Amino acid sequence: MRLLVIEDDPLLRHSLCEGLREELYAVDSAADGHEGLLKALATGYDGIVLDGMLPGLDGWELLRRLRHEKPTPVLMLTARDAVPDRIRGLDAGADDYLTKPFDFDELLARLRALIRRSSGRGSNLLEIEGVEIDTAARTVRREGEAIPLTPREYALVEYLALHRGSVVSRTELYDHLFDESDDTLSNLLDVHVSNIRKKLGPSFISTRRGHGYSIE
Amino acid sequence: MKPFFRSVRWRLLLWYALILLALITGLCLLAFRLASDDRTSQIDREIRSFQSTFFRSLFASQPLPDKNELPSLDEIRQRLRNPGDVSAFPPELHALFEDGGGGTFLACWDSDGSRLFISANAPDDLVPPRQAGDGSTQYVERDHRREHHRVNPSGMSSIIGRDISAEQSELRNFALLLALGGAAVWTAGLGGGWWLAGRALKPIDTIGRTASRIAAGNLDERIELARTDNELDQLGGVLNETFDRLAAAIERQKRFTADASHELRTPVTIILSETQRGLKREREPDQYREILANCRSAAERMRALVESLLVLARQDLPASGTDPVPCDLAEIAGGVADLLQPLADEHSIAIHRELSPAFLHGDPHSLAMVVQNLLSNAIVHPPSGSKVLLKTTVTGASVILEVRDNGPGIPSEHLPRLFDRFYRADTARGQASGHTGLGLAIAKTIVENHGGKIEVESATGTTFRVILPRG
Repeated sequence: MRLLVIEDDPLLRHSLCEGLREELYAVDSAADGHEGLLKALATGYDGIVLDGMLPGLDGWELLRRLRHEKPTPVLMLTARDAVPDRIRGLDAGADDYLTKPFDFDELLARLRALIRRSSGRGSNLLEIEGVEIDTAARTVRREGEAIPLTPREYALVEYLALHRGSVVSRTELYDHLFDESDDTLSNLLDVHVSNIRKKLGPSFISTRRGHGYSIE
Repeated sequence: MKPFFRSVRWRLLLWYALILLALITGLCLLAFRLASDDRTSQIDREIRSFQSTFFRSLFASQPLPDKNELPSLDEIRQRLRNPGDVSAFPPELHALFEDGGGGTFLACWDSDGSRLFISANAPDDLVPPRQAGDGSTQYVERDHRREHHRVNPSGMSSIIGRDISAEQSELRNFALLLALGGAAVWTAGLGGGWWLAGRALKPIDTIGRTASRIAAGNLDERIELARTDNELDQLGGVLNETFDRLAAAIERQKRFTADASHELRTPVTIILSETQRGLKREREPDQYREILANCRSAAERMRALVESLLVLARQDLPASGTDPVPCDLAEIAGGVADLLQPLADEHSIAIHRELSPAFLHGDPHSLAMVVQNLLSNAIVHPPSGSKVLLKTTVTGASVILEVRDNGPGIPSEHLPRLFDRFYRADTARGQASGHTGLGLAIAKTIVENHGGKIEVESATGTTFRVILPRG
């Protein structure tokens, strides 16, 4: 899952990005509205954390412009908790709203819910051929037994499971699993896939040569 | 009931009722008096004319030998004792000789008190009048009778009178009518007064209602003015102006509070987010150190903000700070420049001083804060290697402090709002550089509290100019 954090305060931006990375998200960041809009339009993020008060282009205006192009799920963060501000944010196209100061765990839960809803599911649990994926706890169980996965491997399984039945291209996987600072070698993806097959069974992920990967 | 009667409408009505009552009573009394006097003088006229008719008739039946001669006293006595042929008298005198008849009666006595003539219709209790014998008439009213008493210098006395009970009852009826009429007019007047008082007070009531709605929080409402420019309209206008000013002040206060809470929320968010992140799992000491350092920066930012807010709150109080004392702005500026020298060295900024003595009355501590805010801005914002000029001069009645840098300047769109609270021209640096966005607002408030003004010019380089009255 790849997220974009648009926040002008450097300390808070750093804290949010670090916290989200530790939760196995790939995180990009932007310090002002214009940069944020450019990145949001250029990359298919799974979710955007957007501050309301931004220099250059404020959060509401950014959201309005983004919504002309993309339906990316957006969680708005703002220090303004007046009802009209909240209404304005939601009407401009925000999917959820959180007032500063917020609880970091609540932010995580809301992001999970946002991503879950945007992929059209109602539950945090995915079950595929005896493999159970808990997207809240970030664990994978096979026939009741916990399977240890590295963060990258988990992210790969989760992304493919969320897009179950469709072929996900290598480019798309790169876009959603690695952030802008990652400089990963392209064959790393194959290494991850082969490790996952060792742990969850050879047929769990199928390869469509020239197209990408999929979970049937 | 007590508050009921305390209302202006009731008091007005009470006074109105009292005044109206006094006026109507006076008028009624006057009317009654006039009517009664008129009636009495008419009765007196009748009695007098009756008397002359009687005496004329007395001599008409047996005329005197000499018509031009006045009759002698004896002649009169004689005629009275023996009136002669009564039937020849005019009909209005006939009652005098009929028993029990009403009408005017007549009685005459001689000087020795013996009866000369007592008419048959005269009441029984008549006695000769006792008074000075100067021939003047005395008017006596008793037992529904009006009598003219008269004693001639010769000692002969007479009483002529008549029953006036009919007139008296007529007067009583008139009085009753007056009283009823007066009461009716008074009641109608009261009704009118109540209506008038209500009408006059209605705008006040409207003003009161509107004002209480405004007090209840509906700050956008205003008193409707009738545009007649009367006293109540003027009052309404004054109140509306007051409400405008109050609403603006409350709006400013609201915005300031919202901004302050907004500014405080970000550091709190950072502290919360960093501590929660840190406590989630075991970490390397370096990571803990980084988290703690972030928390400290956020806390320091909050401290600076809280201190600035306190300064502003104190400056906003009407009688803030200490009494003004004589001080030298050049000395204050020099002291601040010494304090900020390390910061200037850090940013490689050269502070050039042109300080000539500039005496004024003020609070040295607050003025130092002004210099510090302006000078630290001039040190932090321009690129390193820039020069800052700190200058004090005296012109006419003013003391002027100038802080000029030769940095890139401030874009002109920011200049009008530069002194607004929480306004930051340099958004990229934001809060992180430890700026609260309140420095220039504080400087402006302090300068204005000293009766001066602060200006900014920016083209190539920025000049802040503080103009204070000379002490």
